[in-house]
Amino acid sequence: MSAAIFCENLGFSFSGEPCLKTITFSLEKGAYLSIIGPNGAGKSTLLKIFLRLHGTGHARGLARVHGCPLASYSQRELARLIAYVPQAGDRLPPLTVAEFLQLSRYPYAFGAKGLSAEDREALDKALAHTDMTRLAARRLDTLSGGERQKAFLAAALAQGAGILLLDEPASSLDPKHAAEVSLLLKTLNREQGITMLTVTHDLNHPLDAGGQTLVLRRGEQIFFGPSDMLARGDILEAAFNHTFTFLRHPATGKTLVLADQP
Amino acid sequence: MHLTFTQKKVLLTTGCVLLVVCAPFWGMTVISPFSLLESGSPEAEVFWRLRLPRAVAAFLSGAGLGVSGMVFQAMFRNPLATPFTLGVSSGAAFGASVYFRFSAPLLLLGGAGSLGAALCGGLLSMLMVYLITRARGGFSTSVMLLAGVIINFFFSSLVAFVQFWSNANDSLRIMHWLMGSLAGLEIARLADLAFIIVAGALLIFRLSPELDLLTAGDELAASRGVAVRQAKVTLFIVASVMVGAVVSLGGPIGFVGMMTPHICRLWLGWAHRQLLPATFVLGGSFLTLCDLLARTALAPAEIPIGIITALIGAPFFLWTLFRANQKGELF
Repeated sequence: MSAAIFCENLGFSFSGEPCLKTITFSLEKGAYLSIIGPNGAGKSTLLKIFLRLHGTGHARGLARVHGCPLASYSQRELARLIAYVPQAGDRLPPLTVAEFLQLSRYPYAFGAKGLSAEDREALDKALAHTDMTRLAARRLDTLSGGERQKAFLAAALAQGAGILLLDEPASSLDPKHAAEVSLLLKTLNREQGITMLTVTHDLNHPLDAGGQTLVLRRGEQIFFGPSDMLARGDILEAAFNHTFTFLRHPATGKTLVLADQP
Repeated sequence: MHLTFTQKKVLLTTGCVLLVVCAPFWGMTVISPFSLLESGSPEAEVFWRLRLPRAVAAFLSGAGLGVSGMVFQAMFRNPLATPFTLGVSSGAAFGASVYFRFSAPLLLLGGAGSLGAALCGGLLSMLMVYLITRARGGFSTSVMLLAGVIINFFFSSLVAFVQFWSNANDSLRIMHWLMGSLAGLEIARLADLAFIIVAGALLIFRLSPELDLLTAGDELAASRGVAVRQAKVTLFIVASVMVGAVVSLGGPIGFVGMMTPHICRLWLGWAHRQLLPATFVLGGSFLTLCDLLARTALAPAEIPIGIITALIGAPFFLWTLFRANQKGELF
């Protein structure tokens, strides 16, 4: 079976300026990948390459989705395989949650037909998985930050894609909602078998979620491997040019990481 | 007043149909519907030869401007994006005024020449806006709007130059036409206009899911499977051709393209499958009404229709701006 996401020597430059260099990794279906690194490391750019959202920049190297080159898919075909949860803070469309979710069925509708039974089922399931059914009739701009993020997650799920790309899904949320969203991601990964690629600034997220981690710094790949390896310390030190202290969670026994005082 | 969605639609449709059906009977003199039954009566002649084609032209022009305005607003997620602010109208106006200035050697083309010239002008301005935006990287809305404003100024000054260069007769003709007027309507051009507006509106209607998604943002649209660049280029060309067709016939008539989609959106919501027919009908009816005012307010003199739409449009523009400031954003 070919990997869900595969890239080899993937590079990307924007008006001559390289922002990603020789990224090489492979993810099986159902994998959980956390992408970490300092600001400007190229984390979001990496996601956008797989959405073909890179504007006028130029990508080099090999990028495959389910064994086929990225370029061989039409945008619509790609949307059936990969869904995206953008970074919070973008202008919200003035729609209700239900209307917003309907837009996610675009890759399946040809022309301006109404929703099919299959579409409805996918929408209901997406709402149920994210616990958003009771908020379906609310407008997006009346939701709280946490609810809004869940609405975006529901919309991505409604797209029915097996791969989910998330750009800092919990960064603008309070601790309770951030924990809720993180748990939701893990559950979706485990129970629905959805392949996750999550960009995050929370270094405890990969340690908690497990799976694999990709560490970037200034466009270069510093590390790709099991998330537990981060506990070694030298990887994070190299990435952030900073020292960290590792602790053991008294209840769960999981490793926690704290940035040291400079 | 709370109306259901269907009630709103029925109300809008009935009001507009009533207005459009009645408009050609009104004018300097009111024509009785019964006089149409007598063939050959002077009133029937006026009705069929003058009033009806003019009402149809007004309706089609308004519908075309409304729909193209709707497309630009959705694409740029900005209610101030209109055929005018994007420079398409002034490009078309430039094309047409060049045609008026040099029409003598081009008479072979007949009336279709002004249509062709306006289309070329509109597409030229569109191309320039596109190239400027692309050169600045990406498809940034603010860059595109700014480029539109610049192109608008550029072509407006070119029009002024052409006018300056013309003899008194041509100059006056261009000036009248620039104010926007349906007075000098050629019936032969009506079929061209009808074809372009109806075909354009149908094409755009087919793209309503794409428009819905583009309203939610380029990034989101692309991640949901919209080929953003392709969709935008198609929409831009279709909308520009519609504007070119209207401008070649009635001159650059302002504000319809900004007001009608905005009103429909406030009233009926965002789904373009509903919004497009509503904008088509409301835009058409609005311009029919303005044309009626143009014909009757100072009869027998005729006010250029562009002056009327601008008189109604400018305060509306201001209102949009203040509304936007309260919420901090435009949509």
